[in-house]
Amino acid sequence: MTETAVRAGAAVALSGVRKRFGEVRAVDGIDLVISPGEVVALLGPNGAGKSTTVDMLLGLSTPDGGAISVFGRSPREAVVAGQISAMLQSGALLDDATVAEAVGLIAALHRRPMPVARALEQAGIADLANRKCTKLSGGQKQRVRFALALVCEPDLLVLDEPTVAMDVETRRAFWQQMRAYTNTGRTVLFATHYLEEAEEYADRVVLMRSGRIVADGSVAQVRAAVSGRTLRAVVPGASDLDLPGVRSVERRGDRITLTCTDSDAAVRALLGRYPNAHDIEITALGLEDAFLALTGEDN
Amino acid sequence: MNARFLALELRRAVRNGRYLIFTVVVPSVMFVLFVNLYGGGQGTFPNGLPVTTSLMMNMALFGVMAGPLSIGARIAVERGLGWQKQLRLTPLTGGGYLATKGALGMLVGLPGILLVCVIGAVEGVRMDAMHWVGVLATLWLGAIPFVLLGIVIGLVASPDGMQAITGLASMLFGLLGGIWIPADVAPDWLATLMKALPTFWVKQLTQAPFVSGVDVKQALLVIVLWVAGLSLVAVRRYRAQS
Repeated sequence: MTETAVRAGAAVALSGVRKRFGEVRAVDGIDLVISPGEVVALLGPNGAGKSTTVDMLLGLSTPDGGAISVFGRSPREAVVAGQISAMLQSGALLDDATVAEAVGLIAALHRRPMPVARALEQAGIADLANRKCTKLSGGQKQRVRFALALVCEPDLLVLDEPTVAMDVETRRAFWQQMRAYTNTGRTVLFATHYLEEAEEYADRVVLMRSGRIVADGSVAQVRAAVSGRTLRAVVPGASDLDLPGVRSVERRGDRITLTCTDSDAAVRALLGRYPNAHDIEITALGLEDAFLALTGEDN
Repeated sequence: MNARFLALELRRAVRNGRYLIFTVVVPSVMFVLFVNLYGGGQGTFPNGLPVTTSLMMNMALFGVMAGPLSIGARIAVERGLGWQKQLRLTPLTGGGYLATKGALGMLVGLPGILLVCVIGAVEGVRMDAMHWVGVLATLWLGAIPFVLLGIVIGLVASPDGMQAITGLASMLFGLLGGIWIPADVAPDWLATLMKALPTFWVKQLTQAPFVSGVDVKQALLVIVLWVAGLSLVAVRRYRAQS
């Protein structure tokens, strides 16, 4: 398939999307294509631009540059058609309505909603229907938000830090329900802090840092990419450290730290170029380290 | 506008205890109190209007103001909660949201007016059917500027400052608008100020069929200016927020 064809049939297509707030480039030129049926995790530290990207995808804010299409339409058109829906991080619930009423209000606005009772059931809160929204725990509130997002039967569900207020148990139950939903072929994009969630539930992981996408691939690919090794050594007088198999270089005086994709090649080349290198140490990267390496700032 | 959404919103508004008390019960209670204060309302005011009739119109007007302002207050709370953001993920447009709140403001004003008028009839207010319809319609349509005022306050005020601002607005528009004191007894400067408020002119319009010398043209002009001005502020304010 050609690139254009992929984009035309895509659930989400972002090209060159930018957004700045004053001096801060919150999103600095990102390209992303998500195919229907994919479950994609958007990973990144705070301030990476995840929420800004999500807001633009939902038509809540307009990009300064670039183009966004959702199922081939503008985000707002997709919202109106009920094709895209979201569980917002800050989206609050009404303080004077019951759970069923809040979901009913949102359902009333959509063109082809599912019955409110079914949305509550799918979100696992059928028993809370007549509870006031103010009398819910953090995890229960998240499930109400999930029901609000589900009720329009969206083809693409966007979740912004969905499990942030949940304990481990609730989180597991939440993802079980989510899986039941994605098994019906829906597309899901979720932003998260939790690596394990991305590993366990996503088909694909997109890593963001400082408004850019720094890695994008299947969970296996990203794990492979990050399963490199770190080479530390003291290299007196090192100047040219452009070595094969090295992804990034960090140096503090004579002490260097190389993040390697192929540490064997790197160490051979290093010793070939600087025979006096000493205190060489090669360690394997954990997923956590790799994530930090990929999303941390360059020196 | 979405009828089902409006119906659900209406149910939510009407269920609110504060709404029932301030917009439905209080105007009627005040009316009964005032009638007794004026000795059972047997007399006639200098403008020729029977005391009971005049008090009935004033207290209905008070109810007309209170309902819409309470709807405006809800807008401020919904903004504070982030509920508006949730609504923006539905087909509801900004115009649709404001129109729904407007319709809601109009609807919640109605029971208060009707109750005061029913009590008025019981207390001895007599007029022919056409005049009853005219008074009710004028009072109800007179709610329009206050509905818009409520929306503007809801879009401008913070949820915390809401109570104070609503209170201040009903004081200003009620007291200075001539609901509690007639403009005739006010000093000139105050009378001028009173005549700049929509309240004063809605009151004039309700009295128009019964007393002479009401400047209907000026009344309509002032009210239309308020409606236009408040609509403009509401739309601009809403756009700035989204």
